[in-house]
Amino acid sequence: MTLPDTLEPASQGLQPTTDFEAKTDALGPERATSPLSTIRKYYKIFRASLVERMAYRGDFFFGTILRFLPMITTILLWRAIYEGSGQQSLAGFSYREMIAYLLLTNISRMFSSMPGLAGGIAREIREGTLKRYMIQPVDMIGYLLCYRIAHKVAYIVTSFIPYALLFYVCRGFFDGLPDAPTMAAFFLSLILGFLIGFFFEASVGTVGFWFLEVTSLLYIVMTLNFFISGHMLPLDLLPEPWGSILKFLPFQYMAYFPAVIFLGKIKGAALAYYLIAEVFWVVFFLVLSRTLYRFGLRRYSAFGG
Amino acid sequence: MLNAWPTRYLRLYWNLGRYTLNRELSFRGNFLVKISVEVLWLGILVAFYRTVFARTSLIAGWPEDKYFFFVGCFFALSGLIEALFLENCNDFAELVRTGDLDFLLLRPIDEQFLISCRKVDWGSMPNVLMGAAVMGASLYSMGWQFDPWLILIFLVMFACGTAIAYSFMLALTALTVWMVRNQSLMEMWWLFSSLARYPKEIFNGTWAEPIGVFFTFVLPILLVVNVPATTMVQALDPKMVAFTLVATLGVVWVSRRFFQYALRSYRSASS
Repeated sequence: MTLPDTLEPASQGLQPTTDFEAKTDALGPERATSPLSTIRKYYKIFRASLVERMAYRGDFFFGTILRFLPMITTILLWRAIYEGSGQQSLAGFSYREMIAYLLLTNISRMFSSMPGLAGGIAREIREGTLKRYMIQPVDMIGYLLCYRIAHKVAYIVTSFIPYALLFYVCRGFFDGLPDAPTMAAFFLSLILGFLIGFFFEASVGTVGFWFLEVTSLLYIVMTLNFFISGHMLPLDLLPEPWGSILKFLPFQYMAYFPAVIFLGKIKGAALAYYLIAEVFWVVFFLVLSRTLYRFGLRRYSAFGG
Repeated sequence: MLNAWPTRYLRLYWNLGRYTLNRELSFRGNFLVKISVEVLWLGILVAFYRTVFARTSLIAGWPEDKYFFFVGCFFALSGLIEALFLENCNDFAELVRTGDLDFLLLRPIDEQFLISCRKVDWGSMPNVLMGAAVMGASLYSMGWQFDPWLILIFLVMFACGTAIAYSFMLALTALTVWMVRNQSLMEMWWLFSSLARYPKEIFNGTWAEPIGVFFTFVLPILLVVNVPATTMVQALDPKMVAFTLVATLGVVWVSRRFFQYALRSYRSASS
């Protein structure tokens, strides 16, 4: 457990830090014109967010340790299920594949989950702090995307060692690494999964322009997502037509899809088809969030001081 | 003076409960949405286990009807913990970080009571009823014979389970004093309580058994749902019941001491 160096207020997830504000001010009025300064601007946002994230290491590492407990119980539960069924394979998944799948969905969720994003946007709308994006030369969704990437990078870097250890301990559940094209498709699906997660939650957050209270809607969506994304069990186990319906929806890309790519369960034309569908969903939610934002701004009345 | 002590706290708790209920009822829409989320969550749990039991008839010696009693018991118990303590403990991090904890420490009431029992989250209370409904349905499908003694023992074990779970939550809360930004207490609790979510019979085999023994006898989180559920639908084990009673007293005492120790390390920032 490490004590934080300072007792500065914890970020509410969306406040640009003073560091960032000071530096963008110092960039001068020409900053909006050059693409290089735009990159520099978003790099500063990225850096400040990364520093903020690393300030509370004790909390972070303790949380990471606890994060392994559900994995242990999940492995034990599924072992009991396979022993109880007396079968080698359930819905095409052997016991080893099932555990590998459930471990891999954690990697998928590491990319696609966006804690606090939609709630944060809704709060900015409700409290009126959103207006700073209209005054400052920063696009809200662009800013949030940089902020989120920084947090994800910090999260992935700091949890690399515990995760590497976990996968090393659980290596018996895997048949080694898949071939290079499969790995490439796996990483691509993770990055696209991150984008779907981001733009999907941003869309939910911008609903706050119309309904001031969206946290309840958010809870319902997130609870449901836990199941329909395949985080709890592979969608193949569900009775038809549910399995097919859920594979048609965008939520499977947040947990199920990357995991089954890694396990080599989707190959060739089917893989290409689903990747194209995933790109479609990214574009769909990107357009949706931007459209909702633009229409929302017309209704926005900047409450608060 | 000493006699007045419990009545004073009971009266205080009664008033705190009434106050939070009034608050909750002034946001009725929110209350209804909260309940629908919980119904949804229970529905997901049922869907999950129905899917699993479509492929197997037994999980770690638990057939489907008995297993659903376990699920109902877990749901009711965690609903009770959420209603009574989770929100309070979750707020603690913010009190420490801002230094507002000072205002609570200055009041002439036991700190642990004030910090961990200040608010009742009535929105989680229906979970207890929903869990009870699942348990009832499970007993019905088992063709259970009514036995008042067994129900009494079950209720006592359920209360012990709640007290043990509360003590662990209190200990996790106390860690906040040193870690300052423990904003994810809710998540930490969710992760830690995952140990109590399944029958303890799943902890078998070379590496899992020591883990099961550790979390039964050293940090007895596994007793929380397992003992009441096993007592009711599997077999009454008097030794385990007695051990749970002793363990409850021990864990409550240790967590209280740990919490008080943590409060002594509180640095009262920003005041």
